[in-house]
Amino acid sequence: MAVASVTQAGIVGRHHEEPDQLYVETRELRVQGFLLFMVSDLVLFSSFIFAYLYLRNTGQGWPPPGAPKLDLALAAINSVILFGSGATMHFALENWKHEKFMKFAGWMVSTIVLGAMFLSGQIVEYGKLAVGWGSSGIFGAGFFTLTGMHGFHVFCGIIYLTILLLQAAQGKYTFQKYTGLTLGTLYWHFVDVIWVVLFSIFYLI
Amino acid sequence: MAVAAVHSGGIADHIHPEPQGFIRKYVFSIDHKIIGIQYMITAGIFMLLAGALAEMIRAQLMRANGGFMTPDTFNTVFTMHGSTMVWLVIIPLLTGGFGNLVMPVQIGARDVAFPWLNMIAFWIFPVSGLMLYSSFLMGAPAAGWTEYPPMSLQGAPGTSMWCAAIFLVGVGSTMTGMNFLVTILKMRAPGMTFTRMPLFVWGQFVTAPLLMIATTALGAALAALFVQREFGVPFFDPTKGGSPLLWQHMFWFYSHPAVYIMILPAFGMISEIFPTFGRKPIFGYKMIAFSSCAIAILGFMVWAHHMFTSGMAPQLQLPFMVLTMLIAIPTGVKIFSWMATLWGGVLTFSTAMLYSVGFLALFTLGGITGVFLAAVPFDLHAHGTYFIVAHFHYVIAGGSLMGALAGLYFWFPKMTGRMLNETWGKWSFWLYFIGMNGTFLPMHWLGLWGMPRRIAVYDPQFQTWNQIESVFSLVMTAGIILTFVNVLVSMKRGKKSGHNPWDARTLEWQIPSPMPYYNFKHIPSVFATPYDFAEPLPYRGLEEELTDSPPPVPAAH
Amino acid sequence: MRLDRGFWTATAVLTVLALIVIFWWVYAPITAIMPEAVDKAAQIDALYRFLAASGSALFVYVVGYIVYFCVAFRRRSSHAADAIGVQIHDSHKLEFWWTLFPFLFVVGLAIISVRIFYGIEPINMPSNSLVVEGLGHQWYYTFRYPGINGEVKQLHLPLNQQVTLHVSSYDVIHSFWVPDMRLKVDMVPGLVNTLTFTPTRTGRYNIVCTEFCGTLHGDMRSGTPNDKAYLFIDTPAQYKSWYDSQQKANANASNEIAVASSSSINLTGGDVAAGKAMFQTKCSACHAVAPFEQKIVGPGLKGVLHDPSHPNLVDGEKATPEDVAKILQNGFSGPLGVMPNQTANGISDKDIANLVAYLNSLK
Repeated sequence: MAVASVTQAGIVGRHHEEPDQLYVETRELRVQGFLLFMVSDLVLFSSFIFAYLYLRNTGQGWPPPGAPKLDLALAAINSVILFGSGATMHFALENWKHEKFMKFAGWMVSTIVLGAMFLSGQIVEYGKLAVGWGSSGIFGAGFFTLTGMHGFHVFCGIIYLTILLLQAAQGKYTFQKYTGLTLGTLYWHFVDVIWVVLFSIFYLI
Repeated sequence: MAVAAVHSGGIADHIHPEPQGFIRKYVFSIDHKIIGIQYMITAGIFMLLAGALAEMIRAQLMRANGGFMTPDTFNTVFTMHGSTMVWLVIIPLLTGGFGNLVMPVQIGARDVAFPWLNMIAFWIFPVSGLMLYSSFLMGAPAAGWTEYPPMSLQGAPGTSMWCAAIFLVGVGSTMTGMNFLVTILKMRAPGMTFTRMPLFVWGQFVTAPLLMIATTALGAALAALFVQREFGVPFFDPTKGGSPLLWQHMFWFYSHPAVYIMILPAFGMISEIFPTFGRKPIFGYKMIAFSSCAIAILGFMVWAHHMFTSGMAPQLQLPFMVLTMLIAIPTGVKIFSWMATLWGGVLTFSTAMLYSVGFLALFTLGGITGVFLAAVPFDLHAHGTYFIVAHFHYVIAGGSLMGALAGLYFWFPKMTGRMLNETWGKWSFWLYFIGMNGTFLPMHWLGLWGMPRRIAVYDPQFQTWNQIESVFSLVMTAGIILTFVNVLVSMKRGKKSGHNPWDARTLEWQIPSPMPYYNFKHIPSVFATPYDFAEPLPYRGLEEELTDSPPPVPAAH
Repeated sequence: MRLDRGFWTATAVLTVLALIVIFWWVYAPITAIMPEAVDKAAQIDALYRFLAASGSALFVYVVGYIVYFCVAFRRRSSHAADAIGVQIHDSHKLEFWWTLFPFLFVVGLAIISVRIFYGIEPINMPSNSLVVEGLGHQWYYTFRYPGINGEVKQLHLPLNQQVTLHVSSYDVIHSFWVPDMRLKVDMVPGLVNTLTFTPTRTGRYNIVCTEFCGTLHGDMRSGTPNDKAYLFIDTPAQYKSWYDSQQKANANASNEIAVASSSSINLTGGDVAAGKAMFQTKCSACHAVAPFEQKIVGPGLKGVLHDPSHPNLVDGEKATPEDVAKILQNGFSGPLGVMPNQTANGISDKDIANLVAYLNSLK
């Protein structure tokens, strides 16, 4: 046993850039743990989506009287922006895998900017609705809670991606070892997917 | 990277440096064994509090017109008793406590997958417990542990604190669930296949996704109740279009799986204890493991059986009724398998074994009344009465808590290197067993005769039985206190146990007691289930564990 | 090791015990302790007898075998220190049977429960029943009867008359339970839940709240200072005399359209046809032209101004045109739900006059 370890360690020692056993296994753990975190986050969103659909179907017809009109056009533009940021995030990670740092950084910056644009769009939408969370009835209970939660996720994502970008610039990740970047990408895609559902239930049905 | 020289290099060999100093060793420890013990101590303290609250309830119910405390105080007392027992005692004890202490060693790992997350998850627990009890300062919650709105919307400001505290506990539980799931999926020793895992690991493996998914759903419900109370967002307020039933759906979607969170680890424990003290393989290993999975999956599909009288559409009640009844099948399979495990054994009645046998008998009664309640027409009569109280106390006090006590007497040597006093232990068992039955058995007929639950005063015709219950509750408490005293005394003065006092066969018993911080000097490999008493132990690579050979060198970072 | 004599002796003893408990539950004098006050109670008792008999028998077997095994297979002084038990891991035959057995039991129980379920759930509303409404308050009950103004504190029901009881609540969730009826339904604010049954035994029965409702929840039952509500099941003659006395005590409201209106809206000259058209565009999503009980979102409005069983409107006011107009004007928010006001609904004063005229024409 001990002999085998030394041999293996010797290989590790010679090829510093090659992912070692510890890294491979740690990466698996972290990715799996992160996926499970996203599952439970998904449950959180699902619960509120259930609550919204439940209220929608047991209340007094829909939309309830006094509910503000949503701006479908603005939301559609906003959705395109967010989905675009999903694409740029994908390009960023691909470029990292191909060891192109500058392109990676460029795509990361565009992702962050697009994310910020989406958030601004949401703020504009909130402003146009001009009703408060507590005073907007069950419509607001669903709409503001869910989009607010999603917006918070986007906001956290922007900070998260910024940190990842800075860390990458400081050399925390190598082109072989970049679990953190993978997790960031997973997170951002998760936020995108949630928005597809939210957009559908609030603007399309 | 240089330290990898002494290991095979994988994560299984990654060792945390032995913590130095009191704080890193016993307070902010990332060692799963210390964290497990921290969970148990904290849960033990909350259990004393909850037990005191329970005795206050019984004191109030000594007389039909109460008088021990005001109805409002009584309402906060039973609310806090329920909330404490569910969230601060049973769940942390069985998952965070025993799960952390035993599960990683049983799968042959050095720690859980995310030790730091584990530490954070633990520290959330006492903090949220203190938050919950701090609500006494601002008017404690008083709408029962279920906190149905609109009742909970009328509640004192402490009700919002209740939401926040339980939400936090839930965050900790979710972390533990994720951590355990990854640990069991990824960190098993070589050869530890799913069909070779000890059944306690199976119990934790099935519980982990429940913790993770159901508790998050509870978080959503609590957040909604919180914003309804604090910001007037009308999720549950019928006068603004919200729905009180929505809370019941969201709450029970968590709280039914939570019942299984509270029982599945206990199933796992007694599945370890019966073979060990019967010198006999567990009967039907695969069926026990499989039925746990079936219970967990069905557990997500039956929540509305708590709502049969609440005005749900009648046609919707039928599938919930039938699915609930189906749970009787895997549960029955388990009970029969345990009975068959007892048959033909050489049974030693240690305290752990007594508690396990007690578990089997009392849980069976709780399970049978559970099938009663699944039948909608019967539930229309029994819902909201003391029959329900009897049913779930048989499951939780007779099942989960007795399982935990069995586990405590079983694994105490592994935590401390000392035995608990067996004579005191047997006394504690008989006091608890007799007190438990005397307290909760009469509740069955009281409920059927017309006594609703959660009442500070009651119809005088029920007074005699309530007095009998109150007296027996003291017996039950005496049993618990005896165990606490036993723990405190034996910790320092107990007989030295050696590494394997029960001659048990799972991995944790093959290493010294108390377990060293690195668990195993060499990660063992496994080539069979641990339950074959006629065979030698199914492990390789454990030769040095009990010798004086040097411990492994920790990783540098 | 095979099953020995001891096992079969134990089985025989347990079978005798099981038969005794089954016999006990089949013939247990349940009604001597708790009479069956309504028709459906007997069905629920029958289910209970089945559950209790099979459950106790199962319990006797399980616990009996556990005790027997614990005694028979205990470690004896004759055992060597390293003695081990019978090394069997499983038995597919046995496992098959003890999976099939609970399965068959569950199927049987499900069939029985579903049959009784359809017998007791108010799925098909009977047409000729006495409709009574029960309302929960913190911490007492009130009841509304057809033709009696206001809310009465006692629930009187005539013997052998089919009853439909609609329940709701003014504040928090309560529950209506009469143990002797074996029936219970939650009173949920914003929801109308229903029980149907036929009283079959005269007498006075307790009403109990089983859904936690606050400080005096324990007092919300018959016989307490807070809530003296009982269920009285009367002979038809007794019921009639009670009903007449209550009706006299609560005189009826007038349903005439007043010319001098107390509301700010002039209700004269309302156009029934225009009101009908307006009703179909603005109101029919939530209200049916049907009896009060046929709720869509709000109650059915057929005969809202002439319905003797609902002399009062949902806001507690008398059912007069002015009060209907007031609700249309200001909206309504209460235990039964929410209705938007005039502005939110986008209706003019003239529309309200037309609507009131139309509603008044529905008899």
